[in-house]
Amino acid sequence: MTADKISTESAPAKAWLMGIAAWLVPGLGHVLQGKWVRALILGGAVWICFIMGFMMGGHLFRFSAAEQGVSSLLQIAPMIGDLGTGLLYISCWVSGTGFGQTPEQAALATFEYGWTFLLVAGLLNYLSMLDAFDIAAGRKS
Amino acid sequence: MRHFLVMTAFAALAAVVFGAVAKDSNHERLMYGLKVFAEFMVIGLVLAWVLYFIPL
Repeated sequence: MTADKISTESAPAKAWLMGIAAWLVPGLGHVLQGKWVRALILGGAVWICFIMGFMMGGHLFRFSAAEQGVSSLLQIAPMIGDLGTGLLYISCWVSGTGFGQTPEQAALATFEYGWTFLLVAGLLNYLSMLDAFDIAAGRKS
Repeated sequence: MRHFLVMTAFAALAAVVFGAVAKDSNHERLMYGLKVFAEFMVIGLVLAWVLYFIPL
């Protein structure tokens, strides 16, 4: 009986909105719910991770059909990770910044760390997004 | 040294988020965050030493 209740439990529309807000701008989902400290901690960590990624010479991933064979498919998984940063990724995509790899960038000792930080920023924001969703749905305090 | 600092920064950022989204009380969150941080650091250092002896 309890399992039936859980499986049919639906989240309110507010929870979905908070989840989307948290995805679009890291920390916004918690700010809108008045969870300022949580927003500062979670959003701050994601923003710092993203900025550090670029400072270390990292680049973002995107699907490019121009690349041949399996190579283009290999871009999908990291692209999904990067996409977790929401508007940060979208604004980079629209402005065309952060996707290229110059030889100077690739020569940096922190180049590999850079794109890893950018990818992890997106993954951490997915966690933050789920947290904002759960709070709005009343599953967390 | 730079690699160690980057690893520390990575472990700290990940531990902050893991700690904040998990558990119920602030004390539990703090302890879990510290545990995750320590795990990242210890596993990172162990892997670094293991890979040091493997000729690539």
